[in-house]
Amino acid sequence: MTILEPVARIINVGLPLIVEGVPAADVIQLDWRPPAFGEADVARLALILDDDVTAEANARAITAVHSVRPQLTRVRPAKEVIPGIADGRTLLHAGPPIEWERMCGPMRGALIGATLFEGWAETPDQAEALLDRGEITVDPCHHHGAVGPMAGVLAPSMPVFVATDPSDGRLAFASLNEGLGKVLRFGAFDDEVITRLSWMRDVLGPILDRALEAFGPIDITSLIGQALSMGDEGHNRNVAATSLLTRRLAPTIAAMEPSSDAIAVLEFLAGNDHFALNVSMASAKLSMDAAVGMENSTLVTAMARNGVEFGLRVAGSGAEWFTTTVGPADGLFFPGYGPDDANPDLGDSAITETLGLGGFAMAASPAITQFVGGNPDDAIAATKSMRRITLGPHPAFPLPPINFAGTPSGIDVLKVLDTGVLPLINTGIAHKLAGVGQIGAGIVTAPPEVFLQAARSLANRRGIS
Amino acid sequence: MNSPKTTVLSSRVLHHFYRDSVALMAIASATEKREGVIRVGAVMATPANRGILADSDMLPPDLNAESDDLVFVVRAESEDTATEALDAAEAGLTAVETSGAIEDQRPGTVDEGIHAALAGDRESPANLAAISIAGTYAPIVAERAIRNGLHILCFSDNVAVEDEVRLKKLAVAGGVLFMGPDCGTAIIDGIPLGFANVVKQGKVGMVAASGTGAQEVSRLLDLAGVGVSQLIGVGGRDLSADVGGIMTGFALDLLERDEGSEAIVVVSKPPSTDVATALISRLEGIASHGKPVVACFLGMDDADPDSVTPGVVVRGTLEGGAIATARLAGHELAVTDLDPIEPVPGRVLGLFTGGTLASEAKIILKRAGVDCEILDLGDDQYTAGRPHPMIDPEARADKIIEAGADSSVGIILLDVVLGHGASRDPATPVAEAVMVARSEAESVGRRLEFVASVCGTAADPQGIERQRTILRDAGVILAATNASAVRFVAAQQAGTHAS
Repeated sequence: MTILEPVARIINVGLPLIVEGVPAADVIQLDWRPPAFGEADVARLALILDDDVTAEANARAITAVHSVRPQLTRVRPAKEVIPGIADGRTLLHAGPPIEWERMCGPMRGALIGATLFEGWAETPDQAEALLDRGEITVDPCHHHGAVGPMAGVLAPSMPVFVATDPSDGRLAFASLNEGLGKVLRFGAFDDEVITRLSWMRDVLGPILDRALEAFGPIDITSLIGQALSMGDEGHNRNVAATSLLTRRLAPTIAAMEPSSDAIAVLEFLAGNDHFALNVSMASAKLSMDAAVGMENSTLVTAMARNGVEFGLRVAGSGAEWFTTTVGPADGLFFPGYGPDDANPDLGDSAITETLGLGGFAMAASPAITQFVGGNPDDAIAATKSMRRITLGPHPAFPLPPINFAGTPSGIDVLKVLDTGVLPLINTGIAHKLAGVGQIGAGIVTAPPEVFLQAARSLANRRGIS
Repeated sequence: MNSPKTTVLSSRVLHHFYRDSVALMAIASATEKREGVIRVGAVMATPANRGILADSDMLPPDLNAESDDLVFVVRAESEDTATEALDAAEAGLTAVETSGAIEDQRPGTVDEGIHAALAGDRESPANLAAISIAGTYAPIVAERAIRNGLHILCFSDNVAVEDEVRLKKLAVAGGVLFMGPDCGTAIIDGIPLGFANVVKQGKVGMVAASGTGAQEVSRLLDLAGVGVSQLIGVGGRDLSADVGGIMTGFALDLLERDEGSEAIVVVSKPPSTDVATALISRLEGIASHGKPVVACFLGMDDADPDSVTPGVVVRGTLEGGAIATARLAGHELAVTDLDPIEPVPGRVLGLFTGGTLASEAKIILKRAGVDCEILDLGDDQYTAGRPHPMIDPEARADKIIEAGADSSVGIILLDVVLGHGASRDPATPVAEAVMVARSEAESVGRRLEFVASVCGTAADPQGIERQRTILRDAGVILAATNASAVRFVAAQQAGTHAS
């Protein structure tokens, strides 16, 4: 009788000397660490959750996400398209819900700016007073099908990208990227900022919308897919996607009247390497929303930061947020700034990582490998490590440096807990004071605590204790 | 960001030279760590970047650079430091890339291990998981492995008994072994796992609830020319009332069906009463179907089939179990006891590394009515954060030296365990400590004798003859078996009392 058929193949979890008598080629030594970040009770729940019910739900969820082919269809004023903000005074912000009183500097600055931009107040002091008195409703972008980078503040009059799912008509929205320097998303609200926002409302938005109407919807998946093969990762490096988007629309825009506006729009696009980031974000949001509420699924549908807390949402727990306090990103700083100046991590842009772009697609982007150690090998290693926590490769996002395998896509809470590997998020670093702007960029990992909370909640929903 | 008046600001422009901002930030960050350097900027000189430099008081007033020029700016404590920093920054642009092969990450979880087994060169599925992590996590890892159809060797201890029962039931339902928890020894298909001697493959199937007990029986069978088909560990608690012998029963089912196992020996402490009844009748059943069975239950009275237990040979020592099993397999294990030496005054101290060997010693000495102190140095109370003395023999060496200074001690009884998992050279620390202890004793005119057995085989990696020579050269009296060593000591003690 042989017990180990066809040949002995032994997985060793722990001390190598236990298998010292076994031929080395027959041993698979694990680089093991305690599951669930050492929380044994959660590790047990995760083990029970990891059954056929979950596997089937996750298969459905990831298929739904990967089937979405978002189209960039319109650029419309937010109040026209985003549900729930047309009436009254509502401003949207990045991350999980947070009250005005607890908000970080850049987010407060951005809300003041948006209040001025909407004409609800004459001066910053008046704006602050309105917000203090709760006369302006603040709500997460994510609660309205929208996403915004950094402070992520969206006001009703702002133009937004509309991403459409052609199969079922679902929509997702993102603000238009203002560029670098003094910008609302970093909390700046002086005249320069308001003037630019007004121009975006009056000129940029309408021209882009007309261009899209004339040109027809742009397939965002293929745009991003192509950009990934040109050195973008879809979050911190967007120069390829921006160039591709601009190149497609430029002939249409160039023919528009008045030509001074058309030229201004083209100049704006030429001067903003990150313009396509928000398109990527709207597309990722639309894709991930396809799995929201998928019962029993442990797929992460959103990761978002509000500058105070990190928030996580999971398909099987619907609208519930799992949150924990977040720290600043450890990264590379612009001259003159350092970690002491950094605001805690901020923005909805981690929706790109949720889909498998950004930190997950580092292998695609040799230009920014310094974030992960300096050379393309490190970037490939970063992407491969994300494979360990995801449900499968994204079929439409092949990465050339890993032999055109799809980018690791669809974070599984259970895999994060089992491996102890945390999602890598590429991020910009905001100054903690409103309006100073971006002071660096780097990598953060999602905090372990939110995954522990998610497992407890999912187990609870299934009656597992 | 205010700079002291005494600092200098130096810059260098590389015209028409592009580097991505991330690369430049990395260079700036590295350069800024230099002694005497306060702040470094490394940017493409776009209007926006010039603005950033100006904001932090880092814009040289005479900067002559355009958007496609790369500029380094250094604020430092002296001109020389600034220049050196600029040189270093520029060198950073052309530094030879350190690039290594991309190492594939080692699998970290059971699922990844299973995947790796299929993906590797061997492309053969994993079929056993050896688990030696903290007891808190061992059940979680084990359950994952059992679900995937893997057999388990669980060396981890501190596993709750409810987990043990649950996992063993799960394993039986899945048709796999759960060896453990706290299972140190197994030989599956001839492959030694944990602490196991290199024994011949053969026709005796073993089920063992103890580690060194299994080692002693298997190595004595080997000495008798009898090989082992399978040595299935079940963990020390399997035959307790709580666990009810779940895995012993499953292992017996396997071995009963196995044509390669012509005799079976079960090695354990005496089972709890409830379990014993069922187990003995199970063993009788096997014996009645023609497969002879030895129940080696430490401390039980010897019994043979024609008297108390129909069909089952019961032995109360490891040596007795090995002799009886060898005989059923058609071989004689002749153990020649040592000739007695002049009685040694003083008490008997046992310093054991093998728990079951210590138990066997206690049982034999108790039966002989000899007062003794037998320590199992592998017990938690002695290990306390140190490796097990079979792995790290130094802990016992200290105890031996201590005993050298204890005038009440006359004979020290030792075990030296060889095989996989054990120290590469357990004899040397013992021999060295023996010499120190003896010379300490002799310096006060005291006789101190050392008696040991070596639990090993000719094929063990340590080299049994070399180990025996090291011990013998240190004056250690060597017996063939642990039981024989103990009998020798008992005889000396009887002699002392007689005199």
